[in-house]
Amino acid sequence: MTEVDVRQRILAANEAAAAALRAGFRRDGTLVLNLISSPGSGKTTLLEATVARLKGRLKLAGIEGDIATERDAERLRRLGIPASQILTGGACHLDARQILGVLPAAGLGTPDILFIENVGNLICPTSYDLGEDFKVVALSVTEGDDKPFKYPAIFARAAVAVITKADLLPHVPFDLAAVREQISALNPAGHIVVLSAMSGDGMDAWCSLLEERLASKRAERA
Amino acid sequence: MHELSIATSIYDACQATMRQHGGGRLEVVRVAVGELAALEPDLLRFAWDALLAASEDRGCALEVEWRPARQRCVACDEEKPRAPGSWLRLCPDCGEPLSLEGGDELEILQLSCTGPDEEEGGGT
Repeated sequence: MTEVDVRQRILAANEAAAAALRAGFRRDGTLVLNLISSPGSGKTTLLEATVARLKGRLKLAGIEGDIATERDAERLRRLGIPASQILTGGACHLDARQILGVLPAAGLGTPDILFIENVGNLICPTSYDLGEDFKVVALSVTEGDDKPFKYPAIFARAAVAVITKADLLPHVPFDLAAVREQISALNPAGHIVVLSAMSGDGMDAWCSLLEERLASKRAERA
Repeated sequence: MHELSIATSIYDACQATMRQHGGGRLEVVRVAVGELAALEPDLLRFAWDALLAASEDRGCALEVEWRPARQRCVACDEEKPRAPGSWLRLCPDCGEPLSLEGGDELEILQLSCTGPDEEEGGGT
């Protein structure tokens, strides 16, 4: 019997594809977000509200990952931004090779910000680097205030956590302070934004954060 | 739910390594999986067995080394113990925020194989 030390990252192939994507996004000066949450937490609604606020100032584009239907890409196109739909056909996450595959023909141009909305799932997408600048995890207040400790991997890795549907806070037992503590235990450097896409509360802070991150990416590149 | 795609990535990488070493039969593969890798070791082994069932490496064992994340208090300068699967919000001794270290391992450590010569006459 022969023993071979492999010492190789299991997702090395995905990470090589992600590195190629990241180099391209850096060259183009595109800020890229990988948006992850459970189904129904309001990712697409958040993007719609974000696009409505930023599209006059910035070029935006979206890549939507779903198991089925073009519905999410259509929602973004209706707001006048290019969007590409990736249908995973049952797979629970997007991987970097899928993004590399769709980009050439997606007609997204060279946007200032590219939103990649992952398949609705708090677990599997966490492991797959898509060449993004940072991951954003969305948690709606109706999902309950125990989720960060129940799904620690994504809350530990997402640079930004967005608490959505904050307009419903008076109606649900959601301990915001406890959620902040959980997130900061898992991710001391993480940033938390509390917002409601419906009422607009918190949207200015979210959009400012995106513009600041874009500016610092461009400044690093220069 | 993505254990099968992780198992496939492990097998692809092992086969590439085997080709570099002249081929043979895969006997044991050892991987490290961190607590924050979003993977369940039992499901990973199940997916591995299913993936290899129809291959010439059928029966190859997948050994999973579990690597917990560590919560550390900077003020006390020590790691704080916690029950498996639970998390501390703050340092139980001084109440200061904790840092989180490790737990994101997802790595193939080692493989064991029988060389093509040793296999001759084996029939399977």
